[in-house]
Amino acid sequence: MNLRVLRTELRRSVAPWAGAVVLVPALAFLYLLDAAWWRDTTAWTAQWTPMAMWTRSLLFYLWPLVVGLGALQGLRDHRSKMYELLTSTPRPARHRAAVLTGITALTLTTAFALLVLVGAVQVWGNTAYTHAGWLPISLVGALFLVAGATLGMGAGRALPSALTPPALAMTAFVFTVLMHASLGRTETLTSSGIPLTEPNQVSLLSPTVEEVRDALLTLSASVHLGQTVWLLGMAATGFVLLIASTRAARLIALAPLLAGGVAALLVLPSDPARMYVVDKAAAEPVCDGPVCVTTTQRARLDGLVGPGKEALRLLHTALGNRAPVSVRENATVLPWGSTPRWSRDSVLFEFDDAMISGVKGKELTRALIAQAMVPMCVPTGWNGTAADPSAQSVAVAWVTGDLEPLAGTGYSAAEQSAAARPVWQDLKALPQDEQLARISAMRTAALSCEGDPLAALKGGASR
Amino acid sequence: MRWLTLYARSRRIPASLAAVAVSAVTVAVLVRDGGGGGGGGPIEPGPSVLVLAAGAMAFSVGLSGQDAALDRTAAIRWVPRRAAHVLVAGAVVAAMLLAVRTVGENMATAAFVARDSAGLMGLVALGAALAGGQYAWTLPFAWLSFAFFAPPPTSTPMEVATWMLLPPGTAAGTWTALVLTVVGTAAYAVAGPRR
Repeated sequence: MNLRVLRTELRRSVAPWAGAVVLVPALAFLYLLDAAWWRDTTAWTAQWTPMAMWTRSLLFYLWPLVVGLGALQGLRDHRSKMYELLTSTPRPARHRAAVLTGITALTLTTAFALLVLVGAVQVWGNTAYTHAGWLPISLVGALFLVAGATLGMGAGRALPSALTPPALAMTAFVFTVLMHASLGRTETLTSSGIPLTEPNQVSLLSPTVEEVRDALLTLSASVHLGQTVWLLGMAATGFVLLIASTRAARLIALAPLLAGGVAALLVLPSDPARMYVVDKAAAEPVCDGPVCVTTTQRARLDGLVGPGKEALRLLHTALGNRAPVSVRENATVLPWGSTPRWSRDSVLFEFDDAMISGVKGKELTRALIAQAMVPMCVPTGWNGTAADPSAQSVAVAWVTGDLEPLAGTGYSAAEQSAAARPVWQDLKALPQDEQLARISAMRTAALSCEGDPLAALKGGASR
Repeated sequence: MRWLTLYARSRRIPASLAAVAVSAVTVAVLVRDGGGGGGGGPIEPGPSVLVLAAGAMAFSVGLSGQDAALDRTAAIRWVPRRAAHVLVAGAVVAAMLLAVRTVGENMATAAFVARDSAGLMGLVALGAALAGGQYAWTLPFAWLSFAFFAPPPTSTPMEVATWMLLPPGTAAGTWTALVLTVVGTAAYAVAGPRR
């Protein structure tokens, strides 16, 4: 197989188009829309794993399109009306098919690699944590494109009708949509009784991935393995269809696809907690004294150490030996909709928290104190900041000595002080040990996510 | 009548009709079984748009004939015929969805169906005028996948971009569909399929 054949094929096939269709709309999509892939620590330019996940999730529409383009390519011989002539040459059909699939695989992989490269260049500048754990996600993504295009080519050869490409693309699209919507999900109830859906085993046959919700989450090895098996079956079916000339051979060609699907379903994990797993190396803490962050965020440790130590010192002065002794980035990823678990011994925070992310220095100290005293009990995955800023403001004021509004709570300074001032003045008027008792009651309510911290602060339901 | 039969056959109308019917029934059955959260909830536009887009894509392959050069030798007025072809195809797609609504009850309203089928068919016609009947489906398909994947619209440009999923009666959606219908049909009627 010499280079000239490849070059001719590159000029005459839809392969370059397929490459362009993968790269250009995908980049336009990522850059033109201001959506979740630009936000927080899970932005596609912030960390390696989210970058791989976001580019992979674009296969939602890239994959059906590539399948359709493959089918268009598969129709080419039929349209040229010279297939009989080609079969009369001594060159085996598999050589021609190999050149065609090879060049398609090459352009598709190059296009997807360029897409990943655009992300990688930016991630390189944004994070201090470089690892190779994200590579399988992208490699399986590229394999999905190649296998999809090969299957499309085979189907186009086997069913030479002008309707095949649109029908196949639409089928593939409906498949990804259904895997993402109803067929690929099971409905469950969270521990707090909120109905929600989680991905099931079948959804992993689809090229796309769940929305990235935590930079520490990655796909488990068994997912990669199962998907690879499924894709090899798909590619084999496509290739055999491309060279099969009898009806019986075409029927037999479907066997690898079915076998791959069955084998994949045996390998793929059925429990959502084993599909998206916490990347242990990424979650490993990096510490400077009592202040720890996960490895992914180690570039931000320096800015955090000073305010973190200061917050711990102030908390110790105010609470004595009941004060937390460390500041740690929260590295546990809870399932959607579960109640967060807070700790009495350490201040758990997240960089995606609006109170923490946008502030520095003294403001950061105050935000950490607020997090230590009254952490918020919003179920995981629900958007929301302080439902009531007053408990946090008063708690911080009690530790630092002056009442000032907090940044990033979603409430204006005036609203905060209007709500917090009466509570703060009532609290200040009390004797010292009564103040401490109320603060303890409030902390207990907040840390256990049971009861209303503000009511406890006012001395109401302080049980 | 004889002309119409021959024309329909050369434009692969029977195969397209079969594809439209199959896709409509499939999605309707899936909607009923896979049920988007049970009855009583808001109507999800997704399944209906999928049926309409599949219908428009199925008819797109018939927008160019077997031989463009041969078509051009026919001394007939192509412009009204091509326009009628697009509009009738759109009407058939809409009618098909309205018919299967009886199976999958949780599907879109008539206003929604009218707007989307018209807009999508216009888009297909535009695709045929720009790239030929073989490739005409790529245009509505790309737009459909964009609309599905894009976040919910907040600004007018985004509303225009996701017009096919907007609830009926939204000004941006109606106008985009109307413009697409007029421009697509006119372009195809005047210029014909490419090549």
